Amino acid sequence: MHEIDMLLQGFERLASEPFALLLAVVGVALGIVLGALPGLTATMGVAILLPFTFGLDPLSGLLMISGVFFGGIYGGSITAILLKIPGTPAAAATAMDGFEMTRRGQAGLALGTATFSSFLGGTFSVFVLIFLAPVLANFALEFSASESFALAVFGLSIISSISGRSLVKGLMAGFVGLLIATVGLDPMGGFPRFTGGMTELFNVPFIPVMIGLFAAAEAFKSLEDVDLRREVAAALGRIIPPWSLFRKMLPTVGRSSALGVAIGMIPGAGADIAAFIAYSETKRFSKTPETFGRGEPSGVAACEAGSNGCTGGAMLTMLTLGIPGDAVTAVMLGALTLQGLQPGPLLFQDHADLLFTLFAGMLVCYVLMLVLGLASLRFMGRILQMPKSILTPAILVLCIVGTYALNNSMFDTFIMLAAGVAGYFMQKYGFPASPVVLALIMGPMAEANFRRALSLSSGSYDFLYTRPITAGLLLLAAMTLFMPLLRHLIGKRNRSRRAALAREEGADLDSKNGAE
Amino acid sequence: MKWTTMLSGAVVATAVAFAGAAGAADYPNKPIELVVPYSAGGGTDLVSRAFADAAKAHLPQPIGVVNKTGGAGAVGLSAIMAARPNGYKIGMGTVEITMLPHMGLASFTVDDFTPIARLNAEPSAVTVKADAPWQTIEEFMDYAEANPNAVRIGNSGTGAIWHLAAVALEEASGVTFNHIPYDGANPAVTALLGGHIEAVTVSPAEVVSQVQAGKLKILAVMNEDRSQTFPDVPTLKEKGYDVTVTTWRGIVVPKNTPDDIVDELRAAAKATADEQSFRDTLTKLNLTWAYADAPDFAKVMQKDDAFFADMMAKLGMSN
Repeated sequence: MHEIDMLLQGFERLASEPFALLLAVVGVALGIVLGALPGLTATMGVAILLPFTFGLDPLSGLLMISGVFFGGIYGGSITAILLKIPGTPAAAATAMDGFEMTRRGQAGLALGTATFSSFLGGTFSVFVLIFLAPVLANFALEFSASESFALAVFGLSIISSISGRSLVKGLMAGFVGLLIATVGLDPMGGFPRFTGGMTELFNVPFIPVMIGLFAAAEAFKSLEDVDLRREVAAALGRIIPPWSLFRKMLPTVGRSSALGVAIGMIPGAGADIAAFIAYSETKRFSKTPETFGRGEPSGVAACEAGSNGCTGGAMLTMLTLGIPGDAVTAVMLGALTLQGLQPGPLLFQDHADLLFTLFAGMLVCYVLMLVLGLASLRFMGRILQMPKSILTPAILVLCIVGTYALNNSMFDTFIMLAAGVAGYFMQKYGFPASPVVLALIMGPMAEANFRRALSLSSGSYDFLYTRPITAGLLLLAAMTLFMPLLRHLIGKRNRSRRAALAREEGADLDSKNGAE
Repeated sequence: MKWTTMLSGAVVATAVAFAGAAGAADYPNKPIELVVPYSAGGGTDLVSRAFADAAKAHLPQPIGVVNKTGGAGAVGLSAIMAARPNGYKIGMGTVEITMLPHMGLASFTVDDFTPIARLNAEPSAVTVKADAPWQTIEEFMDYAEANPNAVRIGNSGTGAIWHLAAVALEEASGVTFNHIPYDGANPAVTALLGGHIEAVTVSPAEVVSQVQAGKLKILAVMNEDRSQTFPDVPTLKEKGYDVTVTTWRGIVVPKNTPDDIVDELRAAAKATADEQSFRDTLTKLNLTWAYADAPDFAKVMQKDDAFFADMMAKLGMSN
C-alpha cells in the first residue's frame, strides 16, 4: 500500500532528525505536566509554544506542538485519578471511576489503565488519520447545526448514566447546570443574559466551575477530618493491569477509540464530549453496569481512549479541510500556516513527504507518552503518601493559582471558590457533580445549534426528523434517557412478582403446615 | 534583622516603582505588558505575539503578551481602559472598541483610548461555494433581490464585525439576507463548505486556503482597494455599492497617558512595524500588514465609531 511505504519513509527521515525527536520528548513531557495542572490546558501550552516554533524547522515545531497536545489530553487524567482534580474537562469523566479506584487502593491500576488506554486510543486515531483521511475528510461537512444539536442532546441524555446512586438527584444537578449555562451572551442575539452587568459573566466560566465542583469541593470535604484520618489508601499498588483484566477491557478501548475519532472530526465537539459519550456507551454495553461510578476500570479506559481518540480525528479535519475542530487544532492551524504549509485539500498533494514524516513522529509521540507516563507514575503516586495537612492546602492553592492563570482574572477565582462551596454541599447531600459539568458543556451547544438550525430552515421544525443523523441521534438520546427508568420499572415488576410468588409459596407452606 | 531587610527592600521597590511611574524620561525601565482581549492562538493573539517578538530590537525592555479573554473582547478592552496610564500596560485594540459600546456591552467608549499605531487590517469579502450558480457579484445580488431572505449568510456572531458587513451590504443594496450567526469565522466557513449556507462575509484571509484549493470563490471584497492576494476580485465600490467594512488591530493605551510615553511607543511601534521579520510573519499567517500612525489610526477609529453607532441603531441592537 502506498501509505505504508510513505509511512516507512517517514520513519526513515525521522530517524535522521534527532533534534525533532528531542523536541517531541520535550513536548510530550511538557504536555503531561500542563495537562495535570488544573487551569493550564493543552490549548494554552500549544499557544505559548507557538512563538517559540517560529524559529524552528516545520517538522520540529509541529512535532513539539503535537507532543504537547497529546500529553496535555493524557496528563489531565493523572490528577483526576489521584486527587479528583480534573486537569482538563475530559478528565472530569475519568475522575468518576478513577478517583473511586484510588479510594479503594487501586490508584496504580487506575493510572496504568488510563495510560494504556490513552496510548491505544491515540495511536488508533493517528492510524485512522494516516490511512483513512481522504475517505473521511468530508464527514465533518455533513454536520450542520441540526446534527450538532442532536449530538448535544444525546450528550445531555448521558446524565442518566452518570448520576450514580440517585437518578433524580442526577437529573436535578443536570438541570441546575443547564440553568447556569444560560448565563452569558445570547448565542444568537448577542445580548447579555443574567449577567448583572458584569462583563466577566458574558461567557459561562466553565473551567472555574469545574475545578471548584471537583477539586475544591473535595479539599473542603477533607478539611472536615480534624483527626487527619486517611480515607484514601496510600499505596499505589500494581500499575500495569493484569492480562486478564486488560483483555476484558480491549473491546471497550476499541469502541471508545472509534467514538473518539468520530467525535473529534465533528467541528465544535472535542475530547470532553468524547470522554463522556465513550463512558456512557461502555456502561450501556457492560454486563455489570452497576459497578460504574464505584471504581470500574473499564470506565477509566473508556474515557481515556475516547478523549485521546479525539486527537487524530480533530487533526484529520484540520489537515484535510483546513478547518480546526477545536481550540488546540485552531492554534496548530496557525502553526502550520506560519511554517508555510497551508492546511486544506492541497496539503496532502503538495507536502506529502513532510506530512508522513509528521505522522510517523506522532506515532513516536504516543510511544513517548506511554513511556514517560509509566515512568512518572511511581513518582506521581507519592502524592498519596503526603499527609493530608499538607496535601489539602496544597490542592486549594493549586486550584486558586490554576484558575487565576486561566484568564488572569480574580473573578474566575471567586467563581471557583463559590463552586467549591456549592460542590461541598452537593457531595454532602448526595448530588453528583458530573451532570453539572456535562450540562455546562452540552447546554450552550444544544441551545445555539437548535436556534441556528431553526434560522437555517426559516423556522421549520422539519429538521428534527428529515435528517437521518439528527433523527438517529435524537432517538439514541431518548433511549439513553429512558432505558434506566424502564429497566428500573421492569426490575421492580419482576421483584414484586417474585415477592408475590414467594408470598404465595409461603402461604401454601403455611396452609400445609396448618393442615399437618 | 530579616524583617528590616525585607522592609527596606520593599521601600526601595516602591520608590523605584513610583519613580518609574512619575518620570517618563527613562521609560521603559521594566517590562511592558501587552493585554490581548482574545484567546491565545487566534488572529489578534498572533499579531500581538509577532509584534512583541519584533519589538525586542526597538525597546530597551521586553513586551510580554497577556491574554484577557471573555465578553466578546469586552473584558480585555475594559482592562486596557482601566490600566494605570504609565505605559507599562498597553493593549492590542481591535475594531470592537468602536462596536461594543453601542451594543451596551462595554463600560468604555472609543475616547477612553489613545491610539498608538494600527498594525493590521482585513476587509470583509463575499465568498460562496466554487460550484455555486453565481459567477459574479452582480449575479449573486440579482438572485438575492429576486429571492428575499433566501440567501443565508454565515457570520462570526450577531453584532460581530462580519455580521455588520452583511447588514451594510443589505443597507446599500436594498436586498434582505437571512443572517446565520456562528461561533466565530471558522465554523461559518465550515458550514459554507458543507453547503448548509449560501455565503459568508468573513475576511479573505479566513478563506484563502479553501479558495486556493478550488472549493470556494470570492465574489467581492468590501475595501477601498483590491486585495493583493486576489487582484482579480473586484471591490464592492467598483460595482456601485458604497460599502467598506474592515476589521483592524493596533496598539492602544489608556487615555491620559503622558505625551512623551505615547511618542516613545509610537516611534517604537513604527520601527517594529517596518521590521521585515514582522511583515514576513504577518504574510505567512495570511494577515495583511496595514501600519497606520496615530493620527491616521485615530481617524479610522472615529469613522468606524460613527458608522457602527448608526448600524447598531438601525439593527435595534443598541442598548
